[in-house]
Amino acid sequence: MVGPGGKERSWIRGARAGSVSDLEALFREHWPRAHRAAYLVVQDAAAAEDIAQEAFLSAMRNLDRFDGRRPFGPWLHRIVVNRAIDWSRARALRRELAEIPGSEDFDTGDLGTFSEGVAAGLASLPPDQRAVIVLRYLLEYTPGEIAKMLEVPRGTVNSRLRRGLDRLEAIVDREQR
Amino acid sequence: MSDDVRRALQRIQAPDEIEAQRRAWALVRASFDAREPVSWQRRNRRPLLIAAVAVVALLAALLSSPGRALVGGVRDAVTPDESTPKPKPALVALPAGGSLLVNSSKGPWIVHPDGSMRALGPWWEGAWSPNAEHVAVTRAHRLAALTPDGTIKWALSRAKLLHGARWSLEPRSECCRIAYINGRQLRVVAGDGTGDAPLRNVVGAVAPAWRPGVTRQLAFSTIDGRIELVNVDTTKTTWLSAPGDPPTQLIWSDDGQRLLALGERSLRVFDANGNKLWAIGMPVGPSGAVFVRKSHRFILIRYSPATQRSDLVLFQAENTPGEPRFLYSAPGDFGTLAISQNGDWLLVGWVNANQWLFLRLTSAKVESVSNIVEQFGGSSRAPLERAFPKSVSWCCPASP
Repeated sequence: MVGPGGKERSWIRGARAGSVSDLEALFREHWPRAHRAAYLVVQDAAAAEDIAQEAFLSAMRNLDRFDGRRPFGPWLHRIVVNRAIDWSRARALRRELAEIPGSEDFDTGDLGTFSEGVAAGLASLPPDQRAVIVLRYLLEYTPGEIAKMLEVPRGTVNSRLRRGLDRLEAIVDREQR
Repeated sequence: MSDDVRRALQRIQAPDEIEAQRRAWALVRASFDAREPVSWQRRNRRPLLIAAVAVVALLAALLSSPGRALVGGVRDAVTPDESTPKPKPALVALPAGGSLLVNSSKGPWIVHPDGSMRALGPWWEGAWSPNAEHVAVTRAHRLAALTPDGTIKWALSRAKLLHGARWSLEPRSECCRIAYINGRQLRVVAGDGTGDAPLRNVVGAVAPAWRPGVTRQLAFSTIDGRIELVNVDTTKTTWLSAPGDPPTQLIWSDDGQRLLALGERSLRVFDANGNKLWAIGMPVGPSGAVFVRKSHRFILIRYSPATQRSDLVLFQAENTPGEPRFLYSAPGDFGTLAISQNGDWLLVGWVNANQWLFLRLTSAKVESVSNIVEQFGGSSRAPLERAFPKSVSWCCPASP
């Protein structure tokens, strides 16, 4: 990921000084990907919305402490993805305790067979693997950056990516047959 | 394959993305409007002040003369290694009267004074009604009122996930109300399940707390960490604090004159009028606190990452924290505190040891019970931090 552009630095400065328009610009720039990343990890629309909202609120509360020389996206995505992993683990635990209504299926709309297969495959992965797939292929972070975000060794990221992709490939193949 | 996955992921949309963005912006904007602009000096002064207060409090605790017990005769330093008797393998009786409501990883349980236990069913959490006549329970989208034998008196469902149900403190359940969080909305329903209505549309996640001694005043957190006290009959705000660390627990003193807001990295202490008496920052927020009965003193769990130990420390909720008193210490985490109705006994959940400790506050007596996870239906193989009961409340004698 490259450093923040001049526009983003200016939005952050403006938001710190109380400018709603700068805050809105920052929000509109970053919300869609943060929300989608949360959704792809938790696979639950309401939870994804809550997680992305909480992440923005948390980021906003801590804006004064944010180092404006660094890009805002990774900071936000780190909060989103870690919360999404925690939520998914908690849900898995609750499912162990009692049968609860499952999460909704992915709203794949009319995406075509391959995307539907990827969606189904992603749903079958453990949260840790889903998170690295989303960070790598939706948010386009390098394995080194992902390792820092999730506070795991780089080798762990690579192995989760490999296992996740292998499993996705197998499921997509099966769905397309 | 990886390029195909990239393209596929970028085509998958969350349902209702545009509306979700609109809702989120409204929330972020509202929170931003409520935020106090912070000058550079204030931005940099506050952490220093908090750190200074924390250091002063710690020094005061370390330098305080031991032995002059503030809570009866509790010893200032009791280490389990030296003095804790061998734990009993099972909870065969409570050391004081009343009943426990235990929110375990397998749902809520009631423990009677003779040690007998009853699981209330596959609910996620529960809270006593006054006099333990009923229990308000939640699970996913459902709120219900149960009798202590687990019979459902009434239930309601809402579209969003429910949590934080708390029964108001009037003496009879028919007259009382239950406040709960539905998604981000704070709602109140009568104790008989009628009249369910929203009170505030966007609130913080912490469970609301009814003010004792004053009818129908409820404290809750706003999304920017303010504490608001509201009259639920008029829906008018009685007071609203400045923003702060979003609270994880709100705890009133027995007389309703003091309120603690435990945060992820702080503790704030308020008086009955919403004035902040004092606050301290901590590297790890307190996982629990409990007021000493009929007192403005409270016992706080303080975890030290450096030593990886938890301490129980006694503070006072007055204009200053007073001289903090170190009461007890053990390696690992203390997860929950509960005090008996007569105020003589303190239950401490010692997570890493899978034990409950019962500390007698009027003497140096300590009792312990092991295998807590297993006794409440949990698996001995599950990680203790997940499987150990999350909270315990010790209520008045249960109705027969």
